[in-house]
Amino acid sequence: MEVDVDTKENKVVEVRNGCQIGTKKYFASNPSNHRYEKPLIKEKGSFKEVSWDEALDKAADILVKAKRPLLYGFSSTECEAQGKGVELAEVLGAILDNTASVCHGPSLLAIQDVGAPTSTLGEYKNRADLVVFWGCNPVHAHPRHLGRYSEFVRGYFRKDGRNDRYIIVVDPRNTHTAQIADLFIQVNPSEDYELLNAIRAILRGTEVDGKEVSGVPMKNIIELVNKLKTCKFGVIFFGMGLTQSLAHHRNIDAAICLVRELNDYTKFLLTPMRGHYNVAGANQVFAWQTGYSYSIDFSRGYPRYNPGEFSSVDVLIRNEIDASLIVASDPASNFPAAAVKNMFKHPLISIEPHHTPTSVNADVILPPAIAGIECEGTAYRMDSVPLRLRKVKDAPGECLTDNEILERLIEVVKKKKGE
Amino acid sequence: MVVNNLILITCRTIDQGVALEGGKVSRENVRAAAICAFDREDFKKLDCLVGTPVKVITDYGEVLVYSTISEEGPHPGIIFIPMGPWANQVVNPDSQSCGTPTYKGMKATVEVVPNGKVLNAVELIKTLIEG
Amino acid sequence: MTEIKLVLKKEPEFPLEADVISPDQFTGKTLADIKKLIVYYGNEEKTLGEFFDISGKSGELTDLKIIIEGNLSNVKRIGEKMSAGEIEINGNVGMHVGNRMTGGKMLVNGNADDWAGAMLNGGELEITGDAGHYVGAAYRGFWKGMQNGIIKVHGKVGDEALTWVNGSKPANRFPTLICGSAGSFLGIHGHGGTIIVEGNCNRCVGADQVRGTIVVKGKVSRILPSYKKLGEVKEIELMNGEKINGKFVEYSGDHSVEKNHSKIDKKTGIISNSSNGRLFIAA
Repeated sequence: MEVDVDTKENKVVEVRNGCQIGTKKYFASNPSNHRYEKPLIKEKGSFKEVSWDEALDKAADILVKAKRPLLYGFSSTECEAQGKGVELAEVLGAILDNTASVCHGPSLLAIQDVGAPTSTLGEYKNRADLVVFWGCNPVHAHPRHLGRYSEFVRGYFRKDGRNDRYIIVVDPRNTHTAQIADLFIQVNPSEDYELLNAIRAILRGTEVDGKEVSGVPMKNIIELVNKLKTCKFGVIFFGMGLTQSLAHHRNIDAAICLVRELNDYTKFLLTPMRGHYNVAGANQVFAWQTGYSYSIDFSRGYPRYNPGEFSSVDVLIRNEIDASLIVASDPASNFPAAAVKNMFKHPLISIEPHHTPTSVNADVILPPAIAGIECEGTAYRMDSVPLRLRKVKDAPGECLTDNEILERLIEVVKKKKGE
Repeated sequence: MVVNNLILITCRTIDQGVALEGGKVSRENVRAAAICAFDREDFKKLDCLVGTPVKVITDYGEVLVYSTISEEGPHPGIIFIPMGPWANQVVNPDSQSCGTPTYKGMKATVEVVPNGKVLNAVELIKTLIEG
Repeated sequence: MTEIKLVLKKEPEFPLEADVISPDQFTGKTLADIKKLIVYYGNEEKTLGEFFDISGKSGELTDLKIIIEGNLSNVKRIGEKMSAGEIEINGNVGMHVGNRMTGGKMLVNGNADDWAGAMLNGGELEITGDAGHYVGAAYRGFWKGMQNGIIKVHGKVGDEALTWVNGSKPANRFPTLICGSAGSFLGIHGHGGTIIVEGNCNRCVGADQVRGTIVVKGKVSRILPSYKKLGEVKEIELMNGEKINGKFVEYSGDHSVEKNHSKIDKKTGIISNSSNGRLFIAA
C-alpha cells in the first residue's frame, strides 16, 4: 500500500493510497500563488524579489548582529538539513530548538527521567492484542495508523486483524477514535496523572480509597487494570492529551512507570504519537551532534540543554530573542499569542515553501524545495525507524533544498564573522 | 447569551491538518480552525444557530470563532478549538518551566456575538503585531 | 567579615550569566581582578565590572561576604558551586541562584526565579520572597538531585520542588526544604528528603516518593490515590531526629512505586505493601 504519485510537466496530477493530509501535501507542492519560488526581502512593508546572494547576505547580517538569535523548527525537513541547523547554531552561539518543544518535548523529558520501554510499529502490528490510545486521536491526527499498525490490520500473530485486538481509548471527549474502540474511558481534563497513579497502585496490590478517580468509577479502573495485566502483548500510544495538559512530562513519567511495571505480568510497551513528520529526526540529529534533543543553547560556546529556560516559547515570552530563523515550521500559527507577538518585534528569516502566517510577516524569505517531494533525504518515523524520502519532481522556480540553503548561509555567516 | 464554567481543550482535527498543508492563509483554514465545538446539550444554552460567531474568553485572552456542535461528544462542560492561531489567542502560554505551553484545560467563558467578525489567520496575526 | 559590594548599574536586556559571583571566585583577588572576571551576556563575553559597581575588600574564603544590590531578575547562576562564605542579595534574582552549593550561606531578600538551589549539596539558601519552579531540584537527566543542605523559602515555591532529592540517615545527609506554600508535584521521585510546608500545597504531593518525610501544616488540594492513611499522630520525628508537635494525619506512600514493593514474601507469595515514604497533613 505505497503512495502512488502521477506527475506531468513537473506537477503532481494524481495521488493514490495517500491519506487526506498526505494527498494534500503532494498537491500543495505544485506552483501556485501561495508557493514561494524566489528569494524575497521585505522593503517598506512589501516583498521584493532578490537574488539568492542578496537574500543570504541579508539573512546572515541579521543573524550575525544578534546577541541571542533563535533557530527554530526543522521538523518538516530531512536529516542532512537538520544537521546543518546544528552547525549554524554553533557558529552563531544561538538557541537551537525544534517543534518537540511545544509537542512531545515532555515525553523526552520523562524518558530522560525514567526510560522508555518501547518498540517499533511493526512489532505492535504483529503482536499487540491490547492497544490503548491515551490522550491521542489517530483518526484525526494519524489517519493511516489504525489501518497500518494498530487496529484494522492483520498481523503475524494477529491473523484475525481487528477481531484479534482489544482497543481502549482514554480521553476527556468521546473522540472518533473512541467511538470505534472497544472501551472508552472518559477522564476529567487535566487529571490523567491521578488516574495513572491509581492504576499503578492497584496493579501493585494497594487498595485505593474512594468511589472514583479523575471522574472514572473505581470498578471501571479495577476492570481496566485486569485487562492490562491479562493481555498477551499490550501497547500504549499517547499524544498531546498528556503532554499539553497540566503536569506535562509527569503524565508521561507515570505512563512509562505503569508500562514498565506491567512487564511484571505480561509484555507491555509504549510509543509517542509524533506530530511533524520528521520531528523525531530532528531529535535524533540534534542528539547525535550535541547530546541533547531540543531546547539547546550554544551561547557559551558549547551545547547546554534546559527546556523552560532555553525552550522557544519561554525565551520569546521573556523577550530574550533579538532575531529568529524559522525553518520548516510555522510558529505564528502554533505558538501562544504572547510568544508570537514578541517574535515579530525582531527580524525574522523564514525558510518556508508556502505562505504561512509566519512567512508573510518575515523580513527575509528563502524558498526551499519540499523534502520528500522535491528532494531526497532521511526522515525518522515516530518509532525512530529511519526511512528514505524520495524525490518525485523538481522544485519550481529558484527553490534550493533546505540543506543547500543552510550550507550557503553558514558560509556567508562564517565570512562575516571573519572565520 | 453567555455560558460560564467551561473547560477549553485545543487539539488536532483532520480538516485542520488538511487545511494547513494547503495554505494557512486560506478560507479553508478559517473554516477548519476558527471554530469552537460544543457538546450538543451545552450548545442549546447558547440559544443560537450553528455557525454564529462566539467570543471565547479565558484568563489569557479572547478570540472570535464560529460555533459548531461537536461530533465527538457527549462532553458536557468541555469546548474545543482546533490548534492554530485562533486557539493560541486563548491558551495558557505558561509551561510551568517544562518548555511546553499548557494548550489544554483552560477555564473558559463563551459569549454569543451574532455580528462578530471572525478574522482570517493573516488578519489575526496582524492584530497581534500591531498591538 | 570582609565585605565586597556589587551594585547593578543597569538592568540587563539579555540574560546575564554571572556564575563568577561567589566567595570561591572572589577570594584572594584584588578588586581590579574581580572587575575583569568574565560574565556571559547573550552570546558575548563581557566583564563583571561592565555590569556592576564593585567596592570593598576581598579576604579569606570563609570570612568573605558578598552583598549585591539591584533588580537581578535577569542575572543567572549567582553563587554557583559556592563552598563557604556568604552572599546577600537585596532584590529579585534570576535562575539557578545557589545551584550546586556545598557550603556557606546565601540570603535573597526578594524573589528567586526557577532552579533556586538546584542540586544543593550543603550550606543554606534562604529566600524571603517567592521562588520559582524546580527549587532544590535535580537538573535534567540526573537521578540524584539535592543531597544535603537547607533551603528556606518564606513565600511560595512553584512546581516540582526537590525532584529526585536524595538524603540518607546512615550518611548523615538530610536535605531539607521549608517553605510557606508549594505548587504541585512537591518532592516527586524523592529518596529521603525532608519537606515542611507551613501553609498549603497543590496536587500530587510526594508523587513517586520512595522514602522521606513531607509535612504539610495547611491543606493539600488533592492527595494521590496511592497514599494510604495510617492514622493520627501528635508528634512527627523527622529523618534528622528533630521533632514537630501537633495533630497530623499520617499517610504512607507512594504505593504506586515499584521500589516499595520489590519484596515478594517467599512464604505467602504476597508482594510487600510497605512504604518508607511518609506524608503528614495537619488534622
